[in-house]
Amino acid sequence: MNSRNKFRENRVTLSIFAVCLLFFILPVMGSEDGGAVVIANGMVITVSGDTIEGGCILIEDGVISEVGPSVEVPEGAEVIDATDKWVLPGLIQSATDLGTGEGYADANADETSSPNTAEMQITDALNPFDKDIKKARMSGVTAAMVSPGRKNVIGGQAAVIKMRGKTVEEMALKAPAGVKFSLGEGPKDTYGEKKQLPTTRMGEAYVVRKALIEAGEYLAKQKDYMKKKEAGEEAEPPAIDLSKDPLAALLDGRSTAFFECYRVDDIMTAMRLTDEFKLKTVLIGCAEGYKLAEEIASRNIPVIVGAFGIGPRRMETQYLSIETAGILAGAGVKVAIKSDEVYGVGSLSELPLTAALAVKGGLEPEEAIRAITLTAAEIFGVDDRIGSLEPGKDADIVIFSGAPLHYLSVAERVLIDGKTVFEKAEEE
Amino acid sequence: MERITKLISGLALGALVIANLAAGDTAETVLIRSATIHTVTGGTLLDSSILIRDGKIAEIGPEVNGPDDAEVIDASGKVITPGLIDSHSHLGLGPSGGTTEDNEGSDPSTPQLRIIDSIHPTGMAPHENSFRDSVAEGVTTIIARPGSGNVIGGQSAALKLSGGTVDEMVIKFPADMKMAMGKKGYGAKGQLPVTRMGVAYVVRKAMVDAMEYRDSLERYERKKESDPDVVPPKRDLKNEAMLKVLNREIPVHIHCSRIDDILTAVRLADEFNFFRLSLGHGTEAWKVADLLARKGVVVVVGPAMIVYDEDNNLVNLAKVLDDAGVEINIMTDADVVQQEFLRYQAATAVRYGLDPEKALAAITINPARLVGAEDRIGSLEPGKDADLVIFDGDPFDIQSSVSRVFIDGKTVYEKEQGDK
Repeated sequence: MNSRNKFRENRVTLSIFAVCLLFFILPVMGSEDGGAVVIANGMVITVSGDTIEGGCILIEDGVISEVGPSVEVPEGAEVIDATDKWVLPGLIQSATDLGTGEGYADANADETSSPNTAEMQITDALNPFDKDIKKARMSGVTAAMVSPGRKNVIGGQAAVIKMRGKTVEEMALKAPAGVKFSLGEGPKDTYGEKKQLPTTRMGEAYVVRKALIEAGEYLAKQKDYMKKKEAGEEAEPPAIDLSKDPLAALLDGRSTAFFECYRVDDIMTAMRLTDEFKLKTVLIGCAEGYKLAEEIASRNIPVIVGAFGIGPRRMETQYLSIETAGILAGAGVKVAIKSDEVYGVGSLSELPLTAALAVKGGLEPEEAIRAITLTAAEIFGVDDRIGSLEPGKDADIVIFSGAPLHYLSVAERVLIDGKTVFEKAEEE
Repeated sequence: MERITKLISGLALGALVIANLAAGDTAETVLIRSATIHTVTGGTLLDSSILIRDGKIAEIGPEVNGPDDAEVIDASGKVITPGLIDSHSHLGLGPSGGTTEDNEGSDPSTPQLRIIDSIHPTGMAPHENSFRDSVAEGVTTIIARPGSGNVIGGQSAALKLSGGTVDEMVIKFPADMKMAMGKKGYGAKGQLPVTRMGVAYVVRKAMVDAMEYRDSLERYERKKESDPDVVPPKRDLKNEAMLKVLNREIPVHIHCSRIDDILTAVRLADEFNFFRLSLGHGTEAWKVADLLARKGVVVVVGPAMIVYDEDNNLVNLAKVLDDAGVEINIMTDADVVQQEFLRYQAATAVRYGLDPEKALAAITINPARLVGAEDRIGSLEPGKDADLVIFDGDPFDIQSSVSRVFIDGKTVYEKEQGDK
């Protein structure tokens, strides 16, 4: 009550003050309100098209409306000078449990009560205020594919989120965005300890096979019902099964299967299941993928490569190599790169440096940049919105101090939907 | 017959291995020319040369000539640094998250344990070749430490990553006493220490026990003068080890991340007059950087190089501490970050603003000084061990590769065509 009275008393003064301020605030408010923003005179890496030296980007209503050597600056537009800076699409982190736990603490991404929890949705574990989201944003990451962890054979449903918003609904770009599977040590260790299926790798394959066969029967019933309904026949709709629904979507080609696997035998199992059930598959991890480049390429399976061996190794990642991304790309495989070590140059907040390691391992620098932008967007089916700098796409943009894969270059300004969400403080 | 053939071939193989080892033992005389040389203690020399003889650095400077039989390496366009030193490592002690050999979880106070009795000399699964891989990235010396599961973990060792046995590798033992603040696993068993004050008590008790042990030894020495038959006090390995701390013969390294633990470490160091205190990790050390600078406490930063303040703004820990006048070391905490990524740990600090020369010192001369081995390692100066790394560019650049590594003047790694 008190504060309201105070406001009334001061109303006249405030109004005059506000009018004066408007003149100064308006240009800044422009971006806050989705008004026009121009990023001028930067090294613009469009990813989808040519790189433009001294390029400009016009942003209107949070969307890129023009990219070129010059753009018309609308009246009142905020102009960001990017001279000597590199301008890239916002980076995309892949297959991470970012935002579902607090740092080193146990994440909420593994519902380990059963090895098959296809019914789980990662969005229900997401905390929009998780510290890691801001950290990722500060490093130039503007979107991420978040997914259940590697402890369950069928972990649940993934989502693509943007690094902004107070609610999961605001953050979500695509949810669900596929089903997450995991083969190898994750489930084996988790359930082996409890002496429950699966305690072996063949047990893991069986869990997937059984679930997909049952989902197939469920799908057949659904289709049968639809057919009868269309024909005007009387029919009982089959009961909704939350676990089989997302798997049925995989069998129907409406959704993507993400298989996290590292060792050569686990990678082959993922591909065997892919062949058997005609899945649209993406491999995650793929430490020994360099041994199977031809097999992966011939099936047209994209791979999200990581980790890069900076953090602790497991038995299943002991033979990983920084050459994997380069070898796979050389064989024609579509490659994205993720970083999710806790510390070091492979950590979540150093995605460009992980891409730089892939370059050291033989991946072309342009491919490495694509691997953390447009390729990732394509793999997740969100490339109509993000992943490159072209008219019509969301204005998710990061301005780097220099060449983005160089260790001395850092993100200086990050925009999501045309709004500045991070700006590096000036050096004292 | 078959067995005999096998035996003979086995013997032949053995002879071959021994012959090779012997050849490797011959120190090379090597002249490395035309390089950019980061001496660390004497600035950076451009277009200069280093002469290695008898395992030591013989000469260094713009005009150095070697004997006719010296191997000459043209290092134009290349960059030379001292062999890198990791100030805090668990290399050869098993995978973190798995069964490790560095935490004797049966007693919170184990100062009598010696880390060299646990180290596997080439590396353990899942990274059997971790020693070799670390050398290939320029790491020539590590300070190997007991883990942080115990309040007093045991005695650390500085060892070079070259040699067939741990005993051949060790250059300083005991390097310091490893302690660790913070929560321990004993609480779950209902054993002391359940709390942080319990942790501090364990240290205090060990120090007081050592004092009494010292007193009993002194009493014995005095009595012996008048009574040659006096019975000496029973040897106590724990107290013997802590006596080295009490007598300021060895420094103390304390694992601590939280501010309360950092302050407790400093309090204990004051109370018992520790000879040189270093903190491991020091995640929140930036909050009391001035205090640490005033007290001369060294902070060994890592594996988290970058931490965040209450508003989640980035804090470049090494830089903030250095700016305040705190001496910094940088660690991997291998294998939390794999041993071979030591130079990238330093690069991360440089990325966010630390002076590269200071970052290099933090992985060379500073850790050497920390354990009192600066007369042998940590910088490129005549008379020091010829431990050095030839890089094909900026040592902190991810795209740069190690061309060749020397330990004690011997080539321990040389890049082959096609190596990444």
